[in-house]
Amino acid sequence: MILISFVLVSVVSLVLIAITRNHRHMNTVCIMQALIFAALAVYLALTQHVPVFSFLVGSQYFFIDHFGLFEVLIATVIFTCAATYARGYVEGLLESGELEKGSLKLFYAAWTLLLLLIVFAFFSDNFALFWIFAELTTVISAMLIAILAARENIDAAFKYIFIASISMLFAFVGFIFLFEISRVSLGTGTLNWTVLMQYADRFPTGMLIASFVLVFIGFAAKSGIFPFHTWLPEAHAKAPSAVSAILSGVLLNVGIYGIIRMYAIVHQTIAFTTLAPMITVFGLLTVGISAISMLPQKNLKKLVAFSSVENMGIMLVGLAISTPVALFWVLFQIVAHSLTKASMFFSAGILHRQYRNRFSSDAPDDIRDIFRLQPFAAWIIILSGLAIIGMPPFPLFFSEFFIMLQLGAASLWVLGIMLLLLFIASVGLGYFVLTTFTQMSEPDTGSDIEPYLTPASMKVPIIFLIGLLLIIGIFLPSHGMEYLNQIVMELKF
Amino acid sequence: MIDTAIVIGIIRILFVCIIITAAYIISTRNLLSVVSVYALQSLTLVAIAISLFSLEGSIVLLEIALVTFFSKVIIIPYFIATIQEKIRIKRDIEFHYLNPTSSLLLSMVLMLVIYMALSKIVPETPAHNSLFLFGAVLGISLMLMGMMVTFSRKRAITKVLGFLSMENGVLLFGMFVTELPFIIEFLIIIDLIILVILTAVLSVGIDSTLEDYHKRLHQFHLLKDSEEI
Repeated sequence: MILISFVLVSVVSLVLIAITRNHRHMNTVCIMQALIFAALAVYLALTQHVPVFSFLVGSQYFFIDHFGLFEVLIATVIFTCAATYARGYVEGLLESGELEKGSLKLFYAAWTLLLLLIVFAFFSDNFALFWIFAELTTVISAMLIAILAARENIDAAFKYIFIASISMLFAFVGFIFLFEISRVSLGTGTLNWTVLMQYADRFPTGMLIASFVLVFIGFAAKSGIFPFHTWLPEAHAKAPSAVSAILSGVLLNVGIYGIIRMYAIVHQTIAFTTLAPMITVFGLLTVGISAISMLPQKNLKKLVAFSSVENMGIMLVGLAISTPVALFWVLFQIVAHSLTKASMFFSAGILHRQYRNRFSSDAPDDIRDIFRLQPFAAWIIILSGLAIIGMPPFPLFFSEFFIMLQLGAASLWVLGIMLLLLFIASVGLGYFVLTTFTQMSEPDTGSDIEPYLTPASMKVPIIFLIGLLLIIGIFLPSHGMEYLNQIVMELKF
Repeated sequence: MIDTAIVIGIIRILFVCIIITAAYIISTRNLLSVVSVYALQSLTLVAIAISLFSLEGSIVLLEIALVTFFSKVIIIPYFIATIQEKIRIKRDIEFHYLNPTSSLLLSMVLMLVIYMALSKIVPETPAHNSLFLFGAVLGISLMLMGMMVTFSRKRAITKVLGFLSMENGVLLFGMFVTELPFIIEFLIIIDLIILVILTAVLSVGIDSTLEDYHKRLHQFHLLKDSEEI
């Protein structure tokens, strides 16, 4: 029943969006949809015994386990915030003519559909189903990037679609391998995750390694892992900021989620001893490339996007350590990163409204007099910047600290490289803030810039997210920790 | 029932057809014929699926043949051809990194490498006879050749065709390596159709020659423009 209620809510939302012509109404529908989804997810997490068994759920196609529900919870929170934020932000886009009125319906319809597809992806028990939902999220989110209909947006969307979809085809070949592996070892071929987990220890390692590598290529592209990260900075920088937050906070998780699920299967066999070094190398390269790209970066949204790439690298390295503790903190990093990154993109969006370059969203930001014009956004960027480089009391501090601790136990050399790279990334962010936020305009010319009046709907989600981060970071809620433990147990680490 | 030796012979000939179509897609500069060659390639796949059906008798193969025929021989090529008329460019002469000759040479090398790699892995599975190995090798090669097309062409519409040809490779690989349930094959085709529609609509914006003038100033609207041009 629960899956059907998700679908019903979305269908009703789509119909309402189709009927109305008013932007505010469409936006309200989206907020309501995300809220109802969040309520459903919270209801599942609090009252139901997870894994849930009900109609369709627990069949061979869908399931709701702790990990999937965890990702859905993050997704719905980010979507609720982003939809609220979009209320003011999209209004601004409409006024400046960046978004045409005719595209509004398409925008919100795609938005609604995207949330539904993401929820279904996280609830699929079958790799093939998960694959198709992940693919569809790529297509729909590319639509949201291209919606601004500037040439460079279409370019970015194209790059995203091609890189992600081509790599996902490799993942599909990986799943064909996996199917064949299960057919040989179990008699009947299956891509059902629960069944695969159950019998994973019987699988031949050679084929399993081949299968994992192919699947890894696919989901690495989806989550922006080097060398498939090239689409990410452009897509994130050019998308409307509300969409960037979703891309970074939710869609990257889809990729990492796929990798973790697949790795959990590999982890049952000795194949993981071969694969863990490979993942570590990719993780290190990802962190390295993003850290070095962050240093000379002059465009705030691109900088934030590269920082997402960096965080994905950290998660990958954490996963490669393959201890239960490391996995626990990787999961913690996922939630902390999503919330922090969403608030960063939201405030970058406010600055973008103020200092927007009319010709290209690629150009360096010409940020001046920021504390006079946009003090709120400036402080949030500084705060969330501190959060993203892992300063206490923000939650990323704990996850990065413990992942590094685990890494040190595995290899001191890798830890040394990693710390150096993290330091470079933090310097890149700090340098950007120091140089651009202190720029003042000449006394006689700059005074005619009107401050952009940030609507309350754009401020509330940011404050909410920062508050949530502080609560998580300071109190480390024990229920949440217990919940993460359950996920680690379910993944049999 | 037809004699198995003849069927195997037919499949071998069809393999050659696949290689020829893939080589043509990689090397041609004529945009209009790429679409028809793609349709031909898909038709060859249908023929292979039907021949395999007469060999193995699994009903899934027949279903795959049917769906492939309608989606990839009729609907998608027709759709892309209409889009091409709207864009009004007939030749694709811009290449990144690779020109046609070197990509042809490269794909030959790739095929060899894949053959060597797969002949090591595949004996672990029951599908070890040479026909199945060859089908799998060809599938992966077709995938990589399609990938080369997407990377080496500048026009979005040719990139889409490269992607489609990649997907044909996946289908071929799937047919020969294992018996995938029909539903999985069907999912991938749904994905394909949605992707083609979206990229085609977007490529109207990006490929139209009119656009070259107003790179940034002209902000166009997706749906409206596709109707106008």
